[in-house]
Amino acid sequence: MEMDSNETQPTVVVSSPARRISLRQMTLSDVDHYMVWATDAEVARFCSWEPCTSREEAIKYITDSVLTHPWLRAICLEDDRPIGYILIMPVDNIRKEIGYVLARKYWGKGFATEAVRLVTAEIFKEMPEIERVEALVDVDNVGSQRVLEKVGFTREGVMRNYIIMKGSVRDMVMFSFLPSDPFK
Amino acid sequence: MPSKETDQENSKESSSKMEIDSCTLKAVSSSPSEKIHLRPMTLSDIDDFMVWATDINVTRFCTWEPYTSREAGIAYINSFVLPHPWLRAICLDDDRAIGSISVTPVDSIRGEIGYVIGSKYWGKGIATEAVRLVAAEIFKEMPEMERLEALVDVDNIGSQKVLEKVGFVREGVMRKFMYLKGNVRDMVMFSFLPSDSLL
Repeated sequence: MEMDSNETQPTVVVSSPARRISLRQMTLSDVDHYMVWATDAEVARFCSWEPCTSREEAIKYITDSVLTHPWLRAICLEDDRPIGYILIMPVDNIRKEIGYVLARKYWGKGFATEAVRLVTAEIFKEMPEIERVEALVDVDNVGSQRVLEKVGFTREGVMRNYIIMKGSVRDMVMFSFLPSDPFK
Repeated sequence: MPSKETDQENSKESSSKMEIDSCTLKAVSSSPSEKIHLRPMTLSDIDDFMVWATDINVTRFCTWEPYTSREAGIAYINSFVLPHPWLRAICLDDDRAIGSISVTPVDSIRGEIGYVIGSKYWGKGIATEAVRLVAAEIFKEMPEMERLEALVDVDNIGSQKVLEKVGFVREGVMRKFMYLKGNVRDMVMFSFLPSDSLL
């Protein structure tokens, strides 16, 4: 996940937020960009999936799991090149869970933070019945915890022995964002 | 049900002695003012069930409304209690049920504990003793379980105290976590692991 260093803010005040990334639907033509992060063991470290090992496997995964996903967006740079994706999973009628993955080359630049901020704001507009967006982060995944804290998620606590990840029982940090919470 | 009795069981030591006889868990402890044991619940418990299930003080933090008919109570025992993977009546010496306690699997490694006691028996340490009995034994009965958790309404201070007294860890407040009778509630998450110590 993203390891954010301290970002310096520009002294010039801009009238609209600097939008360095855009979100769009993923397509099969994104497969080569997808493979950049999907084959990377460091990216996969805290994900439930193992690194991808072939283009065929990538095409199958995009077809079966990505294109069919109820809410998944490619995170793209200005040239429309995907550098990762962000998704929203249903939990129940009032809760959604957010997840995201970014190619390692783009870690530490605030891209995941921007994507999470965009999506969280968007979800409450698109789905007004949603009372809570949550995220579960491995205790060791400090970079991803920082992303959520920078957006303004509340760190609610460590859930001990919460899930099995790649054969090990892991402690997970629970974060949440409510429609009434302020973005940082 | 007869249980093996030892000299220690009749002593007045303050520590709890756990005694297991197939389905009966019995605690001899000086802390609750009445001795309790756990046993499977059956249809013959229906009238005792109706005592707590019709009580609005008892159901305040439950997802269900008080029961209004014996038929509905019988249906609940048939459809929910009897097939439940792990549910026990909480009984006093006369073997009458005064409440129930259950562990419901959430997934392959997590179980959720829940309990309800008739209000006449509140404040006597009974729920604490029942939870302690379950926390002491459940990991032996369900060895794949890595986490016993409990979700308690933020306003349900009594139930939070029960879990704290047993030794559950208060992990945090989950905001706007679930619906309770039409309102979205903040819930306190507690957990107890096989490696944790009972207080």
